[in-house]
Amino acid sequence: MLKPDTSPTRVLIANRGELAVRIVRTARALGMESVLAASAADRDSLAAQEADRTVVIGAAQARESYLNAPRIVHAALSTGCTALHPGYGFLSERPELPSLCAEHGITFVGPTAEAMRQVGDKLSARAIAQRAGVPITRGSEKVADLEHALALAADIGYPVITKASAGGGGRGMVVARAPSDLTSSFNQASAAAREAFGDGTLYLERFVEHARHIEVQIMGDGAGAAVHFGERDCSVQRRYQKMIEEAPAAILPEAVRIRVRRAAVDLLSAIEYRNAGTVEFLYDEQIGSFQFMEVNARLQVEHPVSEMVTGIDLVRLQLLLATARDELPAQTSIVPQGHAIEARIIAEDPARDFLPCPGRVTRWRPPAGEGIRVDTAVRDGTVIPPYYDSLIAKLIVHGGTREEAVNRLAVALAQFEVDGIPTNLPLLRFIVDHADYRANLIDTRWLERIVLPAFRTQ
Amino acid sequence: MNKVSERDVEALIELFDRSDWRELHVVGEGIDLFVSKDPKARRPEARLARGISPARVDSAPPANVPVAVPAATPLGAPQPKADVPANWVAVRAPCLGTFYRTPKPGAPPLVSLDQRVAPDTEMCLIEVMKLFTTVRAGVTGTVRQVLVADAELVEFQQPLFYIEPDA
Repeated sequence: MLKPDTSPTRVLIANRGELAVRIVRTARALGMESVLAASAADRDSLAAQEADRTVVIGAAQARESYLNAPRIVHAALSTGCTALHPGYGFLSERPELPSLCAEHGITFVGPTAEAMRQVGDKLSARAIAQRAGVPITRGSEKVADLEHALALAADIGYPVITKASAGGGGRGMVVARAPSDLTSSFNQASAAAREAFGDGTLYLERFVEHARHIEVQIMGDGAGAAVHFGERDCSVQRRYQKMIEEAPAAILPEAVRIRVRRAAVDLLSAIEYRNAGTVEFLYDEQIGSFQFMEVNARLQVEHPVSEMVTGIDLVRLQLLLATARDELPAQTSIVPQGHAIEARIIAEDPARDFLPCPGRVTRWRPPAGEGIRVDTAVRDGTVIPPYYDSLIAKLIVHGGTREEAVNRLAVALAQFEVDGIPTNLPLLRFIVDHADYRANLIDTRWLERIVLPAFRTQ
Repeated sequence: MNKVSERDVEALIELFDRSDWRELHVVGEGIDLFVSKDPKARRPEARLARGISPARVDSAPPANVPVAVPAATPLGAPQPKADVPANWVAVRAPCLGTFYRTPKPGAPPLVSLDQRVAPDTEMCLIEVMKLFTTVRAGVTGTVRQVLVADAELVEFQQPLFYIEPDA
């Protein structure tokens, strides 16, 4: 007879900031114990104060701490952890971490190393999408050199965009509207990709002029079943970095919404994906079609908007699925309701070309009230260290309709007060008051093309 | 100026640590901080006249304000315990890992209490996923305290030994 397992699950959190706080709290609510693996710069962070235990694994620099897989797994083993949550960023999409965990009997709260490899390489991901019957952008296999690129671009048709095979985030991306653009920027794009990912391999895709960024939140059981939690529209971006995200994507006709959700489920079911993942698509509003872009094999920054509309705590579900304490919910039980919007509060100065501005927050007054959620690790006096991402909070609002949510966001942004460091709050207020945003007449280049010039001259 | 907290001091030292400055001297209400990357550095006497606490000029520095912190001492690291003589030097863990005093099971410890050590004397091993890092004394002197038991988990910059350096 099996002995009932009465020892509580102890989970190591290999992350920092607002997400670490969020995972610590969810673990506690589930009766799990949390151990935070922190860098020296984060030894007094809010997450460190709230975790059951904090171990300082290395110096402030990420490669000495949050990017050091052996130290993180050693910390998990030495503190008796049976599970490990990677969060997002850092090592969350590196196959090395789930591999090490599997080797040492630690439950990795996320996909397998194999799934990460399959979708992490963008060309491999395109092939999987194609096999699963998911529409992909007209594009190329890997490009050997400039001459090859010019021949492929002539075949695909301009404008084209170069992309790095090894990763996203805008690195290695250049839009070429004519052969001369490709000639002048191809080698530079390849060098940028090599610098960011250690691999300069590029491929080409047809560039969609007025695109929406649509993505679908998925959870898989690792055995071929997967459910979706609706889609998000993340079209307000600067240099391919998202700034405002919404759920649902109000722009989509109902028929397209059903198809895009189906496509995401099909793609991740096909590789027997485990735990949380997101499939990203470009939606061409003018012709009403969507194309596969990439898979993010982890929880995403903007996951709270999906939580707000579905009423499901995705981190809770991640932990329950990973530790086999619960099964995948039925698709029919996941019913998105109303509209949610997230605004990323970032410690950077929009007036000085978005220069990151770490420093001490002397006064922190986040908004509160019905339909308002703030995910943050900041308090009065918190020092934002210079070593990491400059995201300091996520303001999430929920309303019955998009209009109600936008109004609520405008009020919440007006109430948000931060002293001591510059933030992008003035820009966020400007965006939310913009007629195009109110009318939902935007695309992924709208912020850079329309808003930023107007914001600078106001 | 607001009350100066431990975090302010950490932030200042962090700034200093990343800069190419050789010395930093901050005097204000509730703070009198001098840090230098030169272990032999002394507080500049001339400037002390303008300090806020003349009574403190010749006394020992307050326990929590690091004075003459060597460049290698990182931020936020635990400060030496108050009951340790000020001149004793802590040998600290270079990263999180498992502490071993012996090179292999059953072997005698690499160093014992009251043993004389040189800067390159091997003090202990720190193991991270079967990879061993040798920690050396860094100074010439005598081992006065062993702070960690064998096979214990140690954190980044945790003091492992105290050495009384030769005068």
